[in-house]
Amino acid sequence: MASVVKSAFRAIREKGVSNFLRELRDEGYLRCLPDGNLLQTKIHNIGAKLVGVDKFGNKYYEKLEGMQYGRHRWVEYAEKSRYNASQVPPEWHGWLHYITDHTGDEASPLLMLKPQRYGIEHKENFSGEGDEFIYHSKGHALNPGQRDWTRYQPWQPTK
Amino acid sequence: MLLGMKIKTDTPVAKKAREGVMEFLLMNHPLDCPICDQGGECDLQDQSMAFGSDRGRFTEMKRSVVDKNLGPLVKTVMTRCIQCTRCVRFATEVAGVQDLGMLGRGSGEEIGTYVEKVMTSELSGNVIDICPVGALTSKPFAFKARNWELKGTETIDVTDAVGSNIRIDSRGPEVMRILPRLNEDINEEWISDKTRFCYDGLKRQRLNDPMIRVADGRFKPVSWRDAFAVVAEVVHQVKPEEIVGVAGQLSDAESMIALKDFLNRLGSNNVWCERNGSHHDADLRSTYLMNTSIADLEKADVFLLIGTQPRVEAAMINARIRKTVRATNAKVGYIGPETNFNYDHQHLGTGPQTLIELAERRHPFSSALLNAKNPAIILGAGLFDRKDKDAIFFAVGTIAEYANAIRPDWNGYNVLLLSAAQAAALDLGLVPESENSIESAKFVYLMGADDVNLEKVPSDAFVVYQGHHGDQSVYRANVILPASAFSEKEGTYENTEGCTQQTLPAVPIVGDARDDWKIIRALSEVSGIQLPYDSLEAIRSRIRTVAPNLLHVDEREPATFPPSLKPKVTQKLSQDSFRTAVENFYMTDSITRASKIMAQCSALLLKK
Amino acid sequence: MQPRSRGSPISILTRSDGAENSTCPRSLAQLQVRQKAPNSQVLPLSPLSLSLSLWYYSAGATSPKMLARLAANRLLEIRQAFRQPSRSFSTALNYHLDSPDNNPDLPWEFSDANKDKVKEILSHYPSNYKQSAVIPLLDLAQQQHGGWLPVSAMNAVAKIIEVAPVRVFEVATFYSMFNRSKVGKYHLLVCGTTPCMIRGSREIEDALLKHLGVKRNEVTKDGLFSVGEMECMGCCVNAPMITVADYSNGSEGYTYNYYEDVTPKHVVEIVEKLRRGEKPPVRKLAGHGTQNPNRIMSGPEGGNTTLLTDPKPPPCRDLDAC
Repeated sequence: MASVVKSAFRAIREKGVSNFLRELRDEGYLRCLPDGNLLQTKIHNIGAKLVGVDKFGNKYYEKLEGMQYGRHRWVEYAEKSRYNASQVPPEWHGWLHYITDHTGDEASPLLMLKPQRYGIEHKENFSGEGDEFIYHSKGHALNPGQRDWTRYQPWQPTK
Repeated sequence: MLLGMKIKTDTPVAKKAREGVMEFLLMNHPLDCPICDQGGECDLQDQSMAFGSDRGRFTEMKRSVVDKNLGPLVKTVMTRCIQCTRCVRFATEVAGVQDLGMLGRGSGEEIGTYVEKVMTSELSGNVIDICPVGALTSKPFAFKARNWELKGTETIDVTDAVGSNIRIDSRGPEVMRILPRLNEDINEEWISDKTRFCYDGLKRQRLNDPMIRVADGRFKPVSWRDAFAVVAEVVHQVKPEEIVGVAGQLSDAESMIALKDFLNRLGSNNVWCERNGSHHDADLRSTYLMNTSIADLEKADVFLLIGTQPRVEAAMINARIRKTVRATNAKVGYIGPETNFNYDHQHLGTGPQTLIELAERRHPFSSALLNAKNPAIILGAGLFDRKDKDAIFFAVGTIAEYANAIRPDWNGYNVLLLSAAQAAALDLGLVPESENSIESAKFVYLMGADDVNLEKVPSDAFVVYQGHHGDQSVYRANVILPASAFSEKEGTYENTEGCTQQTLPAVPIVGDARDDWKIIRALSEVSGIQLPYDSLEAIRSRIRTVAPNLLHVDEREPATFPPSLKPKVTQKLSQDSFRTAVENFYMTDSITRASKIMAQCSALLLKK
Repeated sequence: MQPRSRGSPISILTRSDGAENSTCPRSLAQLQVRQKAPNSQVLPLSPLSLSLSLWYYSAGATSPKMLARLAANRLLEIRQAFRQPSRSFSTALNYHLDSPDNNPDLPWEFSDANKDKVKEILSHYPSNYKQSAVIPLLDLAQQQHGGWLPVSAMNAVAKIIEVAPVRVFEVATFYSMFNRSKVGKYHLLVCGTTPCMIRGSREIEDALLKHLGVKRNEVTKDGLFSVGEMECMGCCVNAPMITVADYSNGSEGYTYNYYEDVTPKHVVEIVEKLRRGEKPPVRKLAGHGTQNPNRIMSGPEGGNTTLLTDPKPPPCRDLDAC
């Protein structure tokens, strides 16, 4: 508790009050008030080690001592208001769910297993988000590049 | 095999022997099943499932063989070859081109041509069916589909007049490949390359909407109602003798009778089928059919081919002639321009001069004809276009008489037609009333007619084109009515020997097109002169009144009267030598001209 | 039971190389590997390093990059092991590749003297079975053309016997003595079958190849010599042997002589004699091919030890002893 207050005062002294307040808002502390889960996460972050950050900005924390086993790894999402579990990319998913000890950092062999040739970027699960985001197959009417499935070529006059 | 032998086929010893043989066959065979086109219809797969053992013991290195280039039609992966030499035997015996051989010995044996040679034979696609493994497969069909996805429809081929029985394999709305069906009488189990690979022409340059030519010369798609309205309007403005109808090479009997009925009700009798243009004589069937049926050609011992090159006109009949020549050493005399045959023949001459000599028995070949038990004389339908056609036919009639070719038990007087619609057209009476009616026509109705010479049509004539491909005649048309191709309709076709066969629809009709006879029926209603039939059965009963043999499907109706009933002709034979009727084997009608594979073949495979 | 080489990368990586240790080679691959073993230092090291690297990888110490590098190295070794000189019998492949001196457009005809021979050969066979003459005609064509058959010669023979060319190609590829690619003026053939092999034909072949500086079925730069392997030529008692097919004088001077009981040194002498244009002694009279002066034909050195007397008369059958 004391360390929190001390780091807060240090931050105010370094950056100034307005910057400090802006940072508070950016980091989601303002969002903590309506969102209790975020508050819980922020409280957990005290004394925890920041293991890494992924390309979306999600922060991954680990706290081994004094922590119930099974709750010693967690993620704080980049998007503080619209977060969901599918935003965790595959390289961090294993670590987060206690499957492996390899984190999703660059040097990990897990990241190297991603196929260069056909591996695509990770997208979160967009179901329920609206027709622009939901996946539509190539022939679906709502797919903007709807493919023409006719199996013949109509006559094109050459003259 | 002697009488009284007991042959056990089900003992453990026999089963073990079979497993051993399968093991030998599979030893050097690559593990290609997932990428091999023949998977699912592979003889080796079936045999090893039925008779082979479940595990292999081969741990050595398998040999591999260099692939050979056999042309744009046959894809070779020679590693899969099990050296059964079926293809070598087919090439030497049936196709007549000795290109393939078994080179080397032992496990290093390779089937190949030794020198870099493509298979130019017109029957080369049949090695794809023959090869039991995936060594020889169809190059256009490579990696397109597995055989269990395909629905097979048994229809008839219309690219030439033979009417080979085929099976169209389709997947959904698309024709994937064409395979032969067994018909001992017509095509045995082979089909020519043109039949086999024309299917991709069915997917290109298709007409799918009715179109009207607007003022600036371009075509605008319209609805059926508007197109009919335009045509009906013009129809009522022209005089009956200015109306001309031409049926195409690929038209079926139902649509031809509909066209004839419609134009007759409009008052015109100038309807004909395009290749029959100048053949105005449909009285005696024996003058335009192959009176020796195709199967009976095997009984002939002397052939006289006049103005016809069966190798490019009707490849399956050529195969049958070759079979006869090979089996019985039959003599073949050929009158016409220099072509190459795949059997021994004597080139007797190039023009009517030789015919005169033969008719007057001055030619050395006449003795062969005289001594023949079953002479077969085959005239080509390319002769229909000549001015002295009647004289030629009369001369051939005299030859047939002294060669005793026309008897109650054997009729050796044959005409080899060029397209699938000619025989049915003549049976239905599509004969024009006046010879040059097209030059004074004001309303021309082209039903799939792409090979008709449209230069003679006056420039103010209103041309309606009803067909399935935008080939050559569309460019002169004023109204385009899209129709269905042979793979999409149920139609009756008569082949050159007089055997009626039916096509079945394999794929749905393309775009907004309709069946030919349905278009004419609807047009007739819009024009006010409604035709009395509404359904296929009704049209067929109409055909029954004209040519009932067209309803007896899969039956051959021989001609009843011999050609000697025709009156004597005193016209002189001209001196022009006979010409080839088919210049490019691979591009003869609208479907084959639209096909990319046929274009490749004609670029690479035409015998130079 | 160790898994034998299967050719797949996984098993190659984990193979524990029973190859050098096995005495009876089970597969062609292992045979070839065995052949290479005396010269290569690569093979014995890698399995150990590979198994070590696998252990390290499972412990997380090696990166995939290092594993990929090791796998690539191993694959290179295997490819080198397989890149053997051709041990095939035939001089050419079973398909023809056009080259400036061997293509169907070059004209080829039998020489006038040979045309008479052709007629004579054809007279041995019935006139409707001319194709039976294909082998002697191809042999004659080969002799005329300096020891090998170009495609145009095979086409010419096909025209003479009135068959399609591919039938002649089939025969020519079947028999290994029809050379379809260039051979030297003196084509040296070493017998490689068992009796000769155990008497040292491999050393003879190695000596020849080393002396001439070529690989098997390759022609020397001056076009004089080429070395090939033949099957047993029937001189097993006088093993090892080589035979010299002499194509230097066309079909008139064609000889096919056996030189038996050769040693590597002797064989080099024969080659040098041929190079100078002399004919090495075939010893037709006394030795009938054997190059060992102490032997008479196939007899032992130092004369016969058996069959010194006249043969005994046949025993008379004892008719009473039934």
